[in-house]
Order: sequence, then C-alpha cells, then structure tokens
Amino acid sequence: MKFNLLFNKPSFLLVLSILFFTLLINNVNANIEDNLKKITLKLRCMTCQNQTIYDSEADFSLDIKKIVIQKLQNNETEKEIINFLIQRYGEYIVFEPQMNKQNIFLWFFPFVIMALSLVFLILRIKKN
Amino acid sequence: MISLVGFSGLLLSFLFSLVIIISYFFYNKKYLGQIFYYSIYLSFFAIIISFVSLIFAYVNSDFSNYNVFQNSHSSKPLIYKISGTWGNHEGSMLLWLVIMACYNFFFSFNKELDNDVKKLTIFFQTSLYLCFTLFVICTSNPFLLNSIEVYEGLGLNPILQDPSLAIHPPMLYIGYVGFSLILSLSLAGLIFNKINIKWIKTAKNWTLFCWSMLTGGIALGSYWAYYELGWGGWWFWDPVENVSLMPWIAGLALVHSLMMTQQEQLLKRWIVFLAILCFSLSIFGTFLVRSGILTSVHTFASDSSRGIFILILFLVVTGFSFILFIFKSEDSHKKLNLLFINKTSALVINNIVMLIACLTILLGTIYPIIIEVLTNKRISVGAPYFTSTALPILLPGFLLMSVAPALSWQTNKLPKFKSYFLVFFTMSILTLVIGYYTDFNIWGFIGITLGLIIITSSILSMYYNSIKFKSKNFFIYNNALIAHIGVGVMILGVTCSSIFQSEHNQTFVLKETKKIGGYSLTLDEIKISDKNNFQELLAIFTLSNSNLDQSVIKPGKRYYHVSKIITTEAGIYHDWFQDFYIVLGDEKEGEWNVKIYKNPLVSFIWFGIILMIFSGLIGIRKE
Amino acid sequence: MKKIILFLPLITILIVSSFLLIFLLQKKDPNKPPSALLNENLPEFKIINLFDQTQVLTNSDIKEKIVLINFFASWCAPCKLEHPLFFDIKKQHPNLYLFGIGHKDKVIDALKYLNRDGNPYDYVGIDNTGLIGLDFGVFGLPETFLINSSGKIVYKYLGPLTKKIIKNEIQPLIQ
Repeated sequence: MKFNLLFNKPSFLLVLSILFFTLLINNVNANIEDNLKKITLKLRCMTCQNQTIYDSEADFSLDIKKIVIQKLQNNETEKEIINFLIQRYGEYIVFEPQMNKQNIFLWFFPFVIMALSLVFLILRIKKN
Repeated sequence: MISLVGFSGLLLSFLFSLVIIISYFFYNKKYLGQIFYYSIYLSFFAIIISFVSLIFAYVNSDFSNYNVFQNSHSSKPLIYKISGTWGNHEGSMLLWLVIMACYNFFFSFNKELDNDVKKLTIFFQTSLYLCFTLFVICTSNPFLLNSIEVYEGLGLNPILQDPSLAIHPPMLYIGYVGFSLILSLSLAGLIFNKINIKWIKTAKNWTLFCWSMLTGGIALGSYWAYYELGWGGWWFWDPVENVSLMPWIAGLALVHSLMMTQQEQLLKRWIVFLAILCFSLSIFGTFLVRSGILTSVHTFASDSSRGIFILILFLVVTGFSFILFIFKSEDSHKKLNLLFINKTSALVINNIVMLIACLTILLGTIYPIIIEVLTNKRISVGAPYFTSTALPILLPGFLLMSVAPALSWQTNKLPKFKSYFLVFFTMSILTLVIGYYTDFNIWGFIGITLGLIIITSSILSMYYNSIKFKSKNFFIYNNALIAHIGVGVMILGVTCSSIFQSEHNQTFVLKETKKIGGYSLTLDEIKISDKNNFQELLAIFTLSNSNLDQSVIKPGKRYYHVSKIITTEAGIYHDWFQDFYIVLGDEKEGEWNVKIYKNPLVSFIWFGIILMIFSGLIGIRKE
Repeated sequence: MKKIILFLPLITILIVSSFLLIFLLQKKDPNKPPSALLNENLPEFKIINLFDQTQVLTNSDIKEKIVLINFFASWCAPCKLEHPLFFDIKKQHPNLYLFGIGHKDKVIDALKYLNRDGNPYDYVGIDNTGLIGLDFGVFGLPETFLINSSGKIVYKYLGPLTKKIIKNEIQPLIQ
C-alpha cells in the first residue's frame, strides 16, 4: 500500500537509532542547577494562580526552591524529592497527575478510545 | 439616569423576545408574521441601547452605577474605560447578550433556507437568548445602583489595561457565542427533518465565520499572555484556556464535516452531533469560568448561585438538544465509501482524532473536580498531561493533513503520489541533517518534519491545482490548502519556540554589554517617567547582531497609583525568525538581574494563525 | 448498538453535571485545597518552646490528647483577626490542648506579639525556619489543625477562623 513511506525499513531504523542515542546523551551531564529547573518546573506554586515554582518569585516558591536545592545536594533523586512534597502538600503540588489507581482512567482513556476507534475504522474499511 | 435607560433596554429586549416566542405559534395569522420579524429588530435595538448605555456610564465615570464603581476609575485612559465595560462579569454577560442578538438579527435576513426552518431557528435562538437574559437580569445585572454616593471608582486591575485584552473578549465571544446560532439551526433542522444541502450551505458559512472569529479571539488571548505574563509562554493548559479550546476543536471538526457533505458523502447525524456539541461546550465553558469552581488568572469574581443557574441552563439546553438528537436524527441512506485511503476516510480519521483530543481535554479539565468530590483530595492535571495525550493524538491528523486535500473521493489512488513521497522523504532527511548539527531532540524532529511536510505538500497541491484549474477561482480550490499551510507554519513556530528556546540569566550595570548567543546586549539607560495612571521604570537595552544592526528593547516595571500594584512588563524584540524577550528582575547595588529568553520562530505562530483565520473567512461565500 | 451510542452524550452530560453540582453545593474553595494529611498520623516533630528555648515538645508529649494546632506569626495580619477566638475556645473546652506555633517568626517578635495580644495557648512553639510547617504542608498563614486522641489529623482549616466555622466544623469534632 502507498502509505508506508515513513515505515519503510531503512529510514525508520535510522530515526529509531538516533532517538535512542539522544535519549542516552540527555541523561548524562545534569548538574544541580539543571535538576533544580527540571524539578521546579513540575511543581505548582501553592500561593499563585497556576504558576510553576520555577517561574514564581513568591515566598512559598523561594522556600521550596531552597528545600529542593538542599535535597539535591544530599543526592536525593527527583522521585524522592517529589514524593516528599506530595506527602506534605498532596498531589495538587505536582502538575502532572501521578500514575496510580485513582488516575488510571485519566491516563488510559485517550489511548484506549483511540485504539478502539482505529480498530473499528479498519474493520469498516476492510468490509468495503 | 443612564442606568435606568440601560436597564430598560435590557428589560425591553427580554419582553420583545417573549413576543417573538409567542407570535411564532400563531403562524397562520398574517400580521403576526410581521410582528415576529419586527420584534427581532426591536429586541436587537433594545439590547444595543442597553449596552451603549453601559459604555456611556463607563466613559462618563458615572459611579452611581455599581458596576462602573467597582470596575472603573476616572483616571483610566478613555479606551480602557470603554473596554472596562466588558472587562468584568456583568458587563461581559451583557456583551454576550448583544452578540447573541446580533446573530439572531443578521440571520433573520437569510434567504436561502426554507421559511419553516428559518423561523424555527429564530425561535430557538430567541429561546436561548431569553434564558441568558433571565440569567443577567436575575444574577448579573450591570445596572444596579450604588446605595451610597461616591466620587471615585475602585479602579481596574492594571493587568487588564491593555489593547489585546480590550479586543480579546468581543472577538472571542463572536466566535464562542456564535455557536448558539449553529445549535438553533440544528434543532430546527432536526425537527423539520431538513438537514439538506441548503441547510448545510447555511450552516457552513455561519460555522466558518464563528470558528474564524474564535480562532482570532483565542490567539489574542495567547498573544496577550505571551507579552504580559512575563515568562514567554503563550499557552498554559489553564482550565480557562482549555475551555475555549474545546469548542474550537469541535468547531474545526464541524467545519471539515460540513465540507465533506458537499461531495455526496453525507454524515448528517455526525454533523448535528458536532453542531450541538459546540455550543454545549461553550455553555459548559462559561459555567466553569463564572461559577467560582476554578481558580485561574482568568476567572471572574463569582458566587455559587450564578454557578447553579448556569449549570441548570446547561442541563436544560444540552439535555433538550441531545434528547431531540436521539429521537429525531436521521441515519444517512448512503453508505460511506471508505477506502484506505481516500478523502472520505481521511475526513473520518480527522473527525475521530479531533473528537478524542477534545474529549481528552475535557476529561483532564474536570478530572480534578471529580476526584475531589469522590475522595476529598485535590490533584492537578496540568500541561504535562495534555502534552502527553492530546498532542500525540493529534499527530496522525497532522500527518494526514499534508495530503488529504489532494486525495480522491472515489478511489484510493493519490494522483502524483510519487512527488508527495519525495517531499516526505526529503523533508525528513533535511530535518535529520539539521538536527545532526544542532541540539537533536525527538519532539523537535517530529514537529519540524511535520510542519515542513505539511507546508511543502500543500504548496505542491496548489501547483497541481493551478495546472488543473488554470488559476480560475484560486481561492475556492486552494482554501483548505491555505489553511493547512497556516497550520504547518504554526507547528514550526510552536515546536521551535518551545523546544529550542534558550534562557539566559544575567546581571547588568549601566552601560555594560554582554554577549548572548551571537548577539550583544547593552544596558544604556534607566528611565523613570510618570504616565497617565502609573509611574514607569524602563531599562533601555540595545541589541546588536554581528552585522551591527541595532534594536532597542525596553523591559520595565510599572507602579499603578490607585491599585498600588507593581507589574513587570517584558521588553520584546520581534523578528521574523526569533524573539528576544527580556524580563527585568530586582536591582541590588546598581546591578540589575535580567532574564533573557531567545524564542525562535515565535512569529510563525501568529502568522500561521492569521493564515487560518484568513482562509476561514474567505471560505464564506454564496454559491 | 447504534441506539446506545446515541444515548452516550446525554448520559455523559448527566454524570458530569451531577459531579459539578455536588462540588458547587459543597462550597469548596478553589483557593483552599484539602490537606494531604487528613486522616493521617500527626507528623513527627520536635519543637522548641518560645518562652524557654531549652525545652522541647515532641509527639509523645501530646499523645492521647485532643489537640488544636494553630500556625501563626507576628507579621501575619489575618492571624490577628482570629487570635481573640482562641480564648473563647479554651474557655469552652478546657480539656482541649491548644498548641500555637510561630511559623517563620523571630523569637523576639513572637514574644512581643503574645505579650501585647495575650497568650491563649497551652504551649507555644517557635518554628523560625519553617521546617515544622513544611512537614504539616503549611503554605499560607494562619492554618489550624485538629488532632484527635489517636494522634490523627481530622481537620484542617486554611485562613483565619471565624465563630461560625468553629461552631459548625470544629466543635462537633471535639466532642
């Protein structure tokens, strides 16, 4: 069929290998400042309207930034730091809904519906 | 006095609308037919008078009006006094009414539709109008009088004193509220079973208009956020933004589906569903923003009685519409000619992709509310969720967009397939090569490749069209292609400005020069001046590139006297290929902390959107 | 099958609207998220006495007591509004352990504040780094927590208390 342009083997493999390579590179060389930015971009400033801790200059944000820096200096991982904050402020402080039982529907709904509709469509096309 | 006139106008408009409803039922008495139409004009005229009165009250700083007192100040510049009229809950609801009445008024001159469908559409539009007018009169009256005598108002939030923000609500509403007419048309068409070619032509023109204006309204809001909010972002997946995006996506799906039916393939049921969905999402959005259920930069001050009123309104309108849909919508008699891949299936995929994206955004927006009701825990569903779900879902749509206009309705052969394949292949390799020499990033690759593919394929199609149709009626045959090029350009802009944005934190003392990327930036002067209602501190920078071309950038801070608020105004240098965005921080002992963002291809975002709006508007035509 | 799909939009609207209605009726405040520590155990803490910095208070000192913890500060304006109410609470519930914490406050300022406006608390701790508040998820003052005799946090209020809130929400839980 005519639409296997991106799916023809050589170009696809090329893209995949570059992808893999860059994923490897991105995880080396992260220092405390970069990690601080990465983590605080994911956190909500609790006293602002929909701003990240990274972007906000509110007292609360400055306090949290200090705490994150301290923990990074103690070699804590991003996951540990975020869980620490979630324990105290609730999942509300993280902009990304966590993957847990409560949020399964949220995360899977789009992809399940997408898959179902595509299957449905393919069956209809085959019938034609 | 002005308030009295204004309120009378509002009341009269309500009464005349009642007359419309009543006179509809006496269809066989000839003179009542005239009353029907004259009441439309009178109701329209009355609400215009009402709205103009409110504007008058603002312009004259008539603080005996409680709304003016709450939201205005005599020192505000004239333009912002006027735009302050709709910069608050009550005033913006009055604007909503005016626009609804406008649609009713202009629609009443339609000559294409059968008379029965036309009159029933006006009937439904007027019923909707009555509901909202009742809402305004009962819970959101802008003509309440101040119980005490005051000589000065409470001033307006300085953030709202801005040109983009002045036009943003009217344009947004012309789109958003306009979907009410589409709903009315659908209900009328369902009842008389006349979802036919005439109906589709009418619906298509009105939908294109609404959708284009909505696009402009949303874009103005984003543009404002970009230069005002100080961190170079223009879309935050804030609930209020999502709420305007959902009708936009549904409207886009509707526009595509309406195009489709002009070529024998009829999807009546789906069209009616989308048409009802658009305004349902609009009402839903209004509810979320004005009920006090959400916190956002954008929400109006509100109380729960307003929320409950709108929620009931929402239930009644959408409940009635969808019930009618269940019992009266007709199945298409012709079976869809679905092949892999012809235009029909491309449009079906497009519809699926857009509807799922819309539903995902809806789910993400209300999920925190559902969870809080069930578990009394509050979660956030922010940007990371939407960019991981809605955007990937849209990807197949974007890919298909590149060749869809060139596909055939009947066969699954794409004419000149080889040239399109060459385009795809070349663009992928080109982007890979560029990526090799710069910072490679997978999303960057996808975004840029997609954008390039869409643009070049569309131009290719235009070329083939010009051969086939010999530049006759250029805009008719290339309408969709222009819009798609706009999307491609926008995708390039969005990808580059987000992924390849670079941020630099620097300190400057006066006259100091620092190098940023391939440019040098000098702090020339700190200027303090007194303006109309604020005092301004400007840091005047000069940006020079390697060719010694120079531009001036002026980030600053403003102190508004009345509200005692300090705002930070970003200084932006716009270029076709990047923006320099400077935010002034704090000063310590003569050293200024400055954040400098280099945002590539931001102008592409706005340019792409303008292309989309242009193509939407030129698609409106009599045939 | 087709008929069921046709009913979907209507059903979805009804379900979504009922959630929204319940949320509205519960009068939830979008600026006041519910505490993450509700029904959890009191966090472990060790807090210095404001009046005698050699003394500390820990969890074991308030085991099996019903405790009302109030985070305040001398620089916090809304705190002054609710301050007098604590005297009434103490009078009405003499067995309630009233525990005040000076959050991100200096010893001198907190002492001056309590000397001037009175001290209704059974114990006043000083948390000048804010770390104790961090463990409680405090982000805006004043904040008040109610701990039951099993050491679980059963209620939290964000903002200055009022007579109405004390009567309708806190008192029932103290019984």
